[in-house]
Amino acid sequence: MKKKFDVKSVLNVLLPLVLALAVGAIIILFIGENPIEAYAALIEGAFKGKLRLGTTLAGFTPLLLTSLAFIVAAKAGAFNVGVEGEVLLGGIVAAYIGINWTFLPAPLLIIACFLGAMIVAALWAFIPAALKAYYDVSEVCVTILMNSVALYITNYLVSGPMSAGTTIAESKPVAVTLPKLMMPSALNAGIFIAIVVTIVMIFILQKTSLGTKIRLVGTNPANAEYAGINPKHTFIKAMMISGALGGIAGTIEVLGVHGAFLNNFASGLGNNGMLAALIAKCNVFTAPIISFFIAMLNSGAMRMQQATNVPKSLIDTITAVFIIFACMELIGNLKKRAAKKAEEKK
Amino acid sequence: MELGTIFNASLIFSAFRSATPIIYAALCAAITQQADILNIGTEGIMLMGAFMAVAVSYLTGSWILGVAVAMISGLVVATIMAIGNIKFKADICAIGMGINMFALAITKFLLNAWLGKSGSFTDPKIQPIPKVHFAFLEDVPVLGELFNDWCITEWFVIVLIVILWFVFYKTVWGLRLRAVGRMPMAAQTAGINVDAMKYQAIAISGLIGGLAGAHLSLGYSTMFVENMTSSRGFMGVASMYFGGAHPVFTSLGCLIFGFTNSIGTRLQAYGFPNQFMLLMPYVVTIAVLAISMATKKSAEKKRKSSLVTQ
Repeated sequence: MKKKFDVKSVLNVLLPLVLALAVGAIIILFIGENPIEAYAALIEGAFKGKLRLGTTLAGFTPLLLTSLAFIVAAKAGAFNVGVEGEVLLGGIVAAYIGINWTFLPAPLLIIACFLGAMIVAALWAFIPAALKAYYDVSEVCVTILMNSVALYITNYLVSGPMSAGTTIAESKPVAVTLPKLMMPSALNAGIFIAIVVTIVMIFILQKTSLGTKIRLVGTNPANAEYAGINPKHTFIKAMMISGALGGIAGTIEVLGVHGAFLNNFASGLGNNGMLAALIAKCNVFTAPIISFFIAMLNSGAMRMQQATNVPKSLIDTITAVFIIFACMELIGNLKKRAAKKAEEKK
Repeated sequence: MELGTIFNASLIFSAFRSATPIIYAALCAAITQQADILNIGTEGIMLMGAFMAVAVSYLTGSWILGVAVAMISGLVVATIMAIGNIKFKADICAIGMGINMFALAITKFLLNAWLGKSGSFTDPKIQPIPKVHFAFLEDVPVLGELFNDWCITEWFVIVLIVILWFVFYKTVWGLRLRAVGRMPMAAQTAGINVDAMKYQAIAISGLIGGLAGAHLSLGYSTMFVENMTSSRGFMGVASMYFGGAHPVFTSLGCLIFGFTNSIGTRLQAYGFPNQFMLLMPYVVTIAVLAISMATKKSAEKKRKSSLVTQ
C-alpha cells in the first residue's frame, strides 16, 4: 500500500483551514468582536470539562459514519448527498423496532434495530443508485430531493402514527438504549460501534476484492467492464453500503443519544459528514480527523455564542468556506506558479 | 371532494406562479449546462439573492435596488464558483455543494448579525416587486382572473425564456457556448477562448440565479426564511435535465412541478396529511426526471442500433 500521508495532502488540508479561519476572523472583527477570544471560547467549549468533551465526541460519532458513507459512494464514482435521508430513515426504523419488538431480549433487540435500519437505508439508497446506473439520472439531484422526501415521511410518522402524543414531534421512547458514557453528556457506546465499523470499512475498501472493484469502477468504469466487473452492480452495491452506513448512524443517534426518534434529528449530520469527506478528498484515513474537527467546531459554537457576541451560525460559514477552499487545488497551483516564476528568472 | 374547486382557471395561474422561481432556477442551470457545467450551486446562488433582495429592499425601501443587489450578489457567488472550478480545478459538484452550504450559513449569519432576527424575517417596510394590473381586463371573465395582478418578474420570466432561446440558438455567442459544451477542444481549435466562455456563462447564470432569489423573496412572497429555497434550485436543475437545457422545454418541465404543488395545496383542504402534499413535488420531480432520462437513453440506443444495421 502506498503511503497515504504525504506533505502535499497535509498542506492541502491545512492551508484551506488557515484561510477559512482567517475569513472567520475577519467577519468576527467586522461585527466588532475579538477573534482570538471567540476562537478561545470555541476550543474551551469543545474540550473543557467532561460534559463538553463528551458532547464533542458524541457529535463526532455520527459524522465518522456519515463521512465514511459519503466516501464509500464516492469511491465508486457517486456523489451521494442523500446520506441525511438515509440517517433519518434508518433512525425511524430503529425507533419502530425498538418500540414495538419488545418480545426480543435486549441484546437481540439492539441487533434487530441495527439490521432493520441498515436494510431500509440501503434500499433507500438503491433508488438513486439504480436510476444512475441504468438511466444515467444525476444522483446529486435525486438524492437531494429524496432527502426532503425522507424528512416529510418521518415527520408524518412521528407526528401521526408513531407520535408520543406530546406537543413536540417525537416518537415514544425505545425499549433498549445503548449504554451511556461520560454522563451527563450524550456520549454513548455507539462511538465504539462507529469506530469498529470504520475500521472494517477501511479494511473492505483497501484489502478485499469488493473494495478493489469499487475503486476500479469509480476511477474507470470502462476499464472495470473489460476486467470482467459489472460496473452497474458494483456501483449499486457501493451506494447500498453507503446507505447502510447512514442507517447505522441513524440507529446510534436514536438508541444512544435521544432514546426516541426526534423530528429532523439528522439536520446537518449528512451534510457535515459530506463536508468532512470532501475536505479529506475522500481519503479514509484523514476523513475521521476532519470529522472530529467539524464536531469540535459545532460543539464549541454554543460556548462561543454565550461568551462573546458571535452568533454560532458563523461556524457553519467557516466550515463552508473551509470546504470551498479545500476542494480547490491550491497547493498544486502555487507550486506550478513557483515553477513558472523560476523558469522566468532563468 | 369537488373536482371543480381543484381544477379551475385559477389553478393555471397558481401553477405558473409556484413554477416561476423554479423556472428562473432552471434557466440559471441551463446556461451553464450549455457549456457543460453542472450548476449544482443554483440553490446557493438563489438563496443568497433571496436574502440580499429582502435586506436591501427593507433598508432602502426600493425593490429595484433590492433586485439589483440580489443579482450582483448572485454574480459574486457564481464567480467564486467559477474561479474555483475553472482556475483551481475544483470538482463542480463539490464546490457547488460548498457554495450551497456557504449561502445557507452566511444568510443565517447575516440574518442574526445584521438584521438581528433568527429563523425568518418579515417587515412591512420590505418593498415587494409591484404587480401589473390591467384595468381593461377587470371585467373580462376568465382573462381577468388569469392575467391580472402578475408580478413584474412573472411577466419577465416569459421574456427571459424567449431571450435565452434566441441567444442559445440564433446568436454567434450561443453557438460558441454550445460548442464549448459539446467539445471544448474543437472549440479551442476554432479559436474560441473556452475558459472565457465558461466564465461568461457562469456569470450570467449568477445574475439569473440572483434574480430567481429576488423573485422568490420579493415577488412570490414578501419575507425571508432560513433555507427558503427548500430545494427549488435542485428542482430547477432536475427540470433542466428534463428539458435538455433548452429554455422552452425546461420551463415546461417546471410547470409540471408547479402544477403538482398547487394541486397539493388544494388537496390539503380535503384532509390529506400535509406532509404528503409537501413531498409530492419532490416525488414527481424524481419520477419525471427518471422517465425523461430513460426515454432519452432508449431513443439514443435506437439511433445507435439503426446506425449499425444500415
